[in-house]
Amino acid sequence: MGDIQNIFVLIKQVPDQSSKAGINPDGTIDRARAKRMLNPFDRYALQAALHTKKTYGGKVTAISMGPPAAVEILLEALEHSVDKCYLLSDKRLAASDTLATAYALHKVIKYAGDFDLIFCGLQTTDGDTAQVGPQIAERLNLPQVSYCEDFKIEETKVIAKRVVEGGYEWVKMQIPGLITVANSYHPLEYKTLRGARMVQHLLRNEEEKTNYIKIITLDDIKADPVKCGLKGSPTIVARTDKVSEIGGSCIVYQGLPAEQMVSNLVKNTNLPEFIKS
Amino acid sequence: MINNRIEYDFVLVGGGPSSFALAHHLVDLASKNNTKFTMAILEKGKEFGSHIVSGAVSDLRVIQKLFPDYKSTDFPMEGICNESFFSILGNEKKWDVPNFLLPDGLKKEGCAILTLSHVIYWMYNKLKEKISKNPNIQIDFFTGFSAHKVIFKEDKIIGVQVVEQSYEEDPDNTVYGKVTCFGDKGFLSRDVIEKYKLRDNPQIWSIGVKEVWQLNERKDFSGKVWHTMGFPLIDGSFGGGFIYGMRDHKLTIGMVISLDSENPNINPQQRLQDLKKHPWIQEMIKDGKMLKYGAAVLPEGGYYSLPKKFAVEGGLLLGDALGILDIERLSGIDKGMESGYQAAEVLYEALIKNDFSETPLSKYKERLMTSFVVKELKAGRYFRFAWQENPRLLKSYLPILMDNIDHTNPYLGFLKIGLKNNPIKAIIDGIRLKILMDGYEVGPVKYKFDYQNIIPNFNPDKKIKTENYIKETIYSRPDAVFYAKTKYHEGNMHIDEFNADVCLKCIKTYDALGKDTPCVSDCTAEVHRIDIISGKRMHGMSLENCIQCRTCEIVCPEVNLRVRPTMEGSGPDFMGL
Repeated sequence: MGDIQNIFVLIKQVPDQSSKAGINPDGTIDRARAKRMLNPFDRYALQAALHTKKTYGGKVTAISMGPPAAVEILLEALEHSVDKCYLLSDKRLAASDTLATAYALHKVIKYAGDFDLIFCGLQTTDGDTAQVGPQIAERLNLPQVSYCEDFKIEETKVIAKRVVEGGYEWVKMQIPGLITVANSYHPLEYKTLRGARMVQHLLRNEEEKTNYIKIITLDDIKADPVKCGLKGSPTIVARTDKVSEIGGSCIVYQGLPAEQMVSNLVKNTNLPEFIKS
Repeated sequence: MINNRIEYDFVLVGGGPSSFALAHHLVDLASKNNTKFTMAILEKGKEFGSHIVSGAVSDLRVIQKLFPDYKSTDFPMEGICNESFFSILGNEKKWDVPNFLLPDGLKKEGCAILTLSHVIYWMYNKLKEKISKNPNIQIDFFTGFSAHKVIFKEDKIIGVQVVEQSYEEDPDNTVYGKVTCFGDKGFLSRDVIEKYKLRDNPQIWSIGVKEVWQLNERKDFSGKVWHTMGFPLIDGSFGGGFIYGMRDHKLTIGMVISLDSENPNINPQQRLQDLKKHPWIQEMIKDGKMLKYGAAVLPEGGYYSLPKKFAVEGGLLLGDALGILDIERLSGIDKGMESGYQAAEVLYEALIKNDFSETPLSKYKERLMTSFVVKELKAGRYFRFAWQENPRLLKSYLPILMDNIDHTNPYLGFLKIGLKNNPIKAIIDGIRLKILMDGYEVGPVKYKFDYQNIIPNFNPDKKIKTENYIKETIYSRPDAVFYAKTKYHEGNMHIDEFNADVCLKCIKTYDALGKDTPCVSDCTAEVHRIDIISGKRMHGMSLENCIQCRTCEIVCPEVNLRVRPTMEGSGPDFMGL
């Protein structure tokens, strides 16, 4: 058994994929109009953090950055029995790219105190860069395991299974360290009614809520505003193209032997000749 | 704050119109007198409204009672019906039955056209707002939690468990209540009804399928309501279409088909496509776009399927769990809400007297029996029976009428019905239908279970003709599922197949007849399928498509399927239906 005290997990609110997100004239996503959800990749990170707490002890702190509405995903994390949350919310952070985001988040982590492990999702579904986790590890001078599919903790080391091309590898990492969790890890266990009830209670008691969710600004974490937001982001979105809407028609082949269904499929589909043969 | 037992005064199973009517009225009553109470509302959908689908044209009589100032609020309405029609559809033409021939229940002028999912979401927000400034009332909203198991203690209902099959009690996922109110569509209330043997006569069901369309901006049918019979249902199945004009150039097109049909292959979603192929509807939708698709079952048994008790020790039944939808007047929402309203009165009295035993709760039934709910159900108690007892009405007479609507005129059709059949018999049939619809006493009615009516080798005498429709307006079943926006969690297994051998045998029977099994054909969402596994034709399921209508369970000839509510907020997203 390792001696784990503090587990951090970084989570983000993203536009809900099942709803139609609005597009701004400049091609970026209109987040105010889109429905919101917890980044699906972060669910695996949350599960990894909660699993660590259950197996090795410690407390889980969820950290997020985003507009005030992002408090919704922290409430969701509390339903899953996370112990404490921080939300970094500051207008000066708007339009941050991965460099600026990793800078701001590493400052929050320093502000939040000691930790043994930091879990991140693999990537987000709105940016899809998979850069923020590794960048934070670099900024904090931490060892890191990316694409982690499974892990155990022995003494002061994490023994982690990494997904690599064509297979996986086992690596050892000294604690403290950062892990980005692959989406082939265990799916997030569903919240309990008791967890949901606790959050219902917090929603009625604003004061008590602040004990669980601390909302902080750049001033609290002593971050340099020049390194944040649009100013701190060298990335330029040159152009966004709208691909056509999903649609078309779906035919389900069923009730016949597989060979026959495949041959019917091939017969009825406009496939290039080389595939057909 | 965290006690070991999760406990409330009242637990509401299901966030539908009856539950929210109950909660609102109870909050109003308690607020007036500073009474304290706690309540939990469980909803299986990921948000309130996401599993709600309904026509919906509704009388606002209960909304008016609950929210006297609703007109000055943002109560979501698609419009008020200003013109209502009952139309018989031929293959090509339609005939609007003159007003003087129509029963009052079908005249919908003055009723509201609603998107019920939006109404539910509104009622939820209104309720939150109402209680936010009242420290005496605590209501916890649990979306994404479905009740799975009723917890009985001896002969008393003491709560529900929100996780599947756990053999030991899970204190983190069990909620206890002094009274548990069931407002579900049968997912859980069937266990209550079974346990207390509340129903001698089974519930009978129909399936409603519905699409919402965005029409071309030049077209506006807002405030218009059509109910139809005839095309495309000429196999003797009872049912019809509904077309409601909504604001913002939107249109609801739907069908309700009774599941007591002899036809083992109804395929409700495809029947709705047939309806859409009618020239009159084609004209409306040809340059439009489908926005949403959904389906739900409706309890049709009415008066004769009512349970013996409406409340038992520790529990009471609301809305569709009780089965108070009135198929003659096409009124379910208002009656469901009234059941919640009356339940609130009874629960409030119990709260004041601190007596939650069966005796005070039994007043709930007394109240409903004397309210418009059961009075109207009683008046229409023979409505379904009239069509059940005499298959000639739908099988022989209706097609003749349809033919004459297309080629001559409907009144000649009535004459032809007499001429083509035995005229005396036809006249007697007509008089008998009128007598039953008017509610003259002819003794009690006994229903069979829906699946018991299925005739495996049933062949409809006539087939409908569908030509000249625009292909783009018609959707296959797998395509329709896309518009129900289903989303399921990993590891979802919410339909039980009890015995695979039973399915094998059933498939063999239907294969020999060249038909699909009822589960495959009547599924509204491409869930049930036949797989060939080591040479055997076996029953398989694509559960991720399921929109949780429960039709398969109702039509399974072998009673070999059971649909459980899904977990984790999974399922369709009916918001907007």
